[in-house]
Amino acid sequence: MKKPVKSWLLASTVAALLAAPTVSTANSGVEKLTQNPANWAIWGGNYAGTRYSKLDQINTKNVKNLQPAWSFSTGVLRGHEGGPLVVNDILYVHTPFPNTVYAIDQKTQSVIWEYTPTMDADVTIPVMCCDTVNRGLAYGDGKIFLQQSDTVLTALDAKTGKRVWSVQNGDPKLGMTNTQAPVVIKDKVFTGISGGEFGVRGFLAAYDIRTGQLVWKGYSMGPDEDTLINPNKTTTWKDGKVQKVGPNSSTSTWEGDQWKIGGGTTWGWYTYDPDLNLVYYGSGNPSTWNPVQRPGDNKWSMSLWARDVDTGEVKWVYQMTPHDEWDYDGINEVVLVDQKINGKMRKTAVHFDRNGFGYTLDRETGELLVAEKFDKTVNWATHVDMKSGRPQVVDRYSTEFNGEDENTTDICPAALGAKNQQPVSYSPQTGYFYISGNHLCMNYEPFEVSYTAGQPYVGATLTMRPAQGDVMTGKPDNSYNLGQFTAWDATTGKIAWSNKEQFSVWSGSVATAGGVVFYGTLEGYLKAVDAKTGKELYRFKTPSGIIGNVNTWEYNGKQYVGVLSGIGGWAGIGIAAGLDSGDESSNSEGLGAVGAYRSLSSFTKLGGTLTVFALPGK
Amino acid sequence: MKAFSDSLKALACIGLLLGSAGSHAEETFRVCADPLNPPYSTKEQTGYENKIAQLFADQLGQKLEYYWFPQRIGFIRNTLKAEIENTDQFKCDVVMGVPVGFDFAKTTKPYFHSTYVFLIAKGRGWDDIKDPSQLANLPLQRQEALKIAMFDRGPGTAWLQKQGLLDQGIPYQSMTGDDQNNVAMQIEKDLKAGVIDMVILWGPMAGYITTQSPADSYTMIPLRSSPSLKFDFSMAMAVRYGDNERLKLLEGLIDKNLAHIQEIIKSYNIPVLPIPAQAHRDDDDD
Repeated sequence: MKKPVKSWLLASTVAALLAAPTVSTANSGVEKLTQNPANWAIWGGNYAGTRYSKLDQINTKNVKNLQPAWSFSTGVLRGHEGGPLVVNDILYVHTPFPNTVYAIDQKTQSVIWEYTPTMDADVTIPVMCCDTVNRGLAYGDGKIFLQQSDTVLTALDAKTGKRVWSVQNGDPKLGMTNTQAPVVIKDKVFTGISGGEFGVRGFLAAYDIRTGQLVWKGYSMGPDEDTLINPNKTTTWKDGKVQKVGPNSSTSTWEGDQWKIGGGTTWGWYTYDPDLNLVYYGSGNPSTWNPVQRPGDNKWSMSLWARDVDTGEVKWVYQMTPHDEWDYDGINEVVLVDQKINGKMRKTAVHFDRNGFGYTLDRETGELLVAEKFDKTVNWATHVDMKSGRPQVVDRYSTEFNGEDENTTDICPAALGAKNQQPVSYSPQTGYFYISGNHLCMNYEPFEVSYTAGQPYVGATLTMRPAQGDVMTGKPDNSYNLGQFTAWDATTGKIAWSNKEQFSVWSGSVATAGGVVFYGTLEGYLKAVDAKTGKELYRFKTPSGIIGNVNTWEYNGKQYVGVLSGIGGWAGIGIAAGLDSGDESSNSEGLGAVGAYRSLSSFTKLGGTLTVFALPGK
Repeated sequence: MKAFSDSLKALACIGLLLGSAGSHAEETFRVCADPLNPPYSTKEQTGYENKIAQLFADQLGQKLEYYWFPQRIGFIRNTLKAEIENTDQFKCDVVMGVPVGFDFAKTTKPYFHSTYVFLIAKGRGWDDIKDPSQLANLPLQRQEALKIAMFDRGPGTAWLQKQGLLDQGIPYQSMTGDDQNNVAMQIEKDLKAGVIDMVILWGPMAGYITTQSPADSYTMIPLRSSPSLKFDFSMAMAVRYGDNERLKLLEGLIDKNLAHIQEIIKSYNIPVLPIPAQAHRDDDDD
C-alpha cells in the first residue's frame, strides 16, 4: 500500500444501474427512511442510536435456524468496523483504508458501483494510530457520505457513485485523520476528527449537504468563541443542579496555552433529537499525554455534549473524567430514549463510558440522573458523586497521586475501557441496554523509556490482564475472560444479566422485536442471545474476527442480519498480546490464563467479508 | 489510545513472528529509517545513522538497503516487524537509533549517550542566562516575556512545571503528522522566526539546529539529570526480539567501531556524554 490509490468507476456501472432498484432522488429525509425497518439508513438504525429494529421475523424461537444467505468479500485485509447501510433495497458497504465504497444490488448481490478515493498512503498510514479502520457511511439527500481516512469528507451520488463534492475536514500534516461515520441531520452532514496522539484539538463540524460548505465548527476546548459555548446559556451539572457554565469554562482549566494541543477528539458516534434540535456526542482524552504535565480539569475533554444542530451552540456539556490519568477516551455514543425514572418519564441520554460508568442524563438539560458502574470490577473511582457529578478517585489507582516513580497496578478498567467504540443497543421490549464490553485491568508503569519521532522520554508503559472478577459483584472469581456482554437498566443503574466472552466484545450489537440481540466476537462468531435472559440461541463462525456492528433489515419480505468480519483495529492487534510483556521470556509464562489468551491468531485470520444471514426457505 | 496502543500492536506481532525470525539472506544490510528526519536519517543518507549503517554494511561486505517509513506512532510495527507479503522476510532487519530500554524491539548495547540541552538563541535579550535554573528566579516581567518551547511528554516540560513556568511555555507536539517536516526542522524554523527564543531539546536535535545557522548563533547548555527528572539517555540499535544472532553481530560492530561512531556523531554537533554502565534488566534474559 505504498502507492496512492486511484479512484475509478467500474465500466459495468451504467449497465448495472439500469437494472438497479431506484433510489429516491428527493430529499426523502433520513428520519423517514429510518422509520421503515426494511432500511438500515444510519449507523444506529435511527437518530436516537438505539440500534433497535422492529423486525420480528427472526425471533427467539426460530433464530436457531438462521443460515448465511450470501456473503461478499471487501478485498481489504485490515480491521472492519461499522456496518452496511441499507437504503431502499440497495446495500452500501465500506472498507478500512483505502475506504472503498460498494453499492450492492440485493436482488443480484452484485456490485452496482464502487468508489475508491484518491488517498496518499504514505501520508495517511503513518498518522493513523490504531489500524486503518473506518466506521461507516451516512446517507441523505440522495447522497452517500464518506469520511475518508485522510480527513477528506466526500459526497457521492447514491445512484451512480459519482463524486458530488469533497471537502478537507482537517490537515493530516497536523496529525489529523478520520475513522468515524458521519451523520446527516437536516441539511447538514456532521463529522469530527481523530488524532489525539498528535495533539489534535477535537471539534464537531457541520457541512452543507449540497455544497460541502462549512456551516459551523465547535471545538472541544479553547475560548468560548471556539467551543461555541455561550457562557450565559450553556449549562452543566454542578453542585447538585443544572447551572450556567460561565465564561472561559474551558481555558480556565488548563495551564497557559496547553489547550491548543488539547486533544478532546471526536471519533465516536453522533445522535440527534429532532424535537430538541440537538446533536449529541462525546469528546476524547486530553492531550499532553502525561497528566502531571497538564494540571487542571482539562475541560472539555472527556465530556458529553449537546449542541444546537443549526448553530452549533452548546446547550449543555458534562465532563465525566476530569483531568484524565488513565486514557479513558470519552467518545462513546450517547443513546437517546425516553424512560421512567423515579416514577417520572424523562427524555434521557444514556452513555457507557470507557471509564466503566454508565451515565443517564436528562438530554434536554444535562441533569445527571444515574451514574453507576456497569462492570463492578471497576476500581479507579469508588462512585460518581451525584452532587458534584465528579468521580471519587481512589488514590491507590491514581497514576498521578502515586507519582512518577511508582508502578500503579491493578487499575480497572484497562485503557481499552470497560467499553470501547462498539455501540450498544436498546430494546424497548425489555428496557435494557446491551453493552459489548471489555473485562480487563492494567498496570501502569512510569519511567520506562519511550521514544517519539526522535526524542527519548520518560513515559509510561502499560500491561493488561483479565479483570478476574465478577461483573455483577466485583468480587474475585478466578475468571480469565476478557470480554462481557451485559444487559443494563439505565433507569436504576443495575445489571440485569451478563455473559462472559473469551475476548473483548468489539462488535456493536442490534436488538430486535423478535426478542433477540445479535453481536459478534473477536473469534468471528455471530451470536444471537435472548434479550430477556442472555441465553445463547445461535452462533455461526464468520470468515474472520468481528469488530463490525451487526445490522438488520428487510428485503422482499425477508429479514436479514448482516455483519462485517475482518479482524484488526485496536482490539484485534492489541488485546491478545496485551497480556504479553513483549519479551520472549514472557511468551512461555503463565501457560494458564495468559497462555490461553495470548494469541488471537489461533482463532482467526485477516480478511474483510460481509456475511448476510436469513432464515431458510422461500 | 496513545503511546501504549502502539506498544500493544508492536507486542501483538511478536507471537506471530517468532517462528520466522532468523532465516534471512545475508547479502544485504537492511535498515528501516525515516526518509526525512535530520540529523538521524534522510533519504539522501546524510544523517549520522545513515553514516553508521554504511560503515557497518561496508565492514560486513554487504549492500546497504533501506526501507523508508516516517518515524511516528507504529514505526516498529510498520517496519521492523512488518512482513513482506509472501516471503519469510521483514521490511528490514535493523533500526539504527532507539533508546536503551525501548521495549518494542530488542536493543543492542548502547553506542552513544546524549542529553537534553537548554538551547537559547543569542542576541534576543537572554544572553545573560547561563543556566536554566536562572529562569525560575527572573523578575516577573522578564519571566512573562519568555518564549520557550514545551513538548508534549518531554522532560523539558516536566522541568518547566517544577520551576512554575508552565504558563510561559509554547506547546509543541512531540510528533508531527507532516512527513515533510520533522520536529527538529520545525523548532529550527520557529527559533529563526522568533516564535520561540529557547527550548529544552534532545541533544541530536539541538545539534542539528546549531548546524543550520552560523556558528555562535546559539548557547547550548546540557541539562543534568536528577533522581526525579531524567534528561540523559543511552542510544542503541534495534532488532526483532529473538534475532539474537544479529544482535551479537551488531554488538561486535559497535565494540569494534565505538571510537569511529562517536566521531561521526560529534561531527553533527551532538553533545556526547560517556556511556554509563547499563542497569541490568531482569526480563532481559532471552
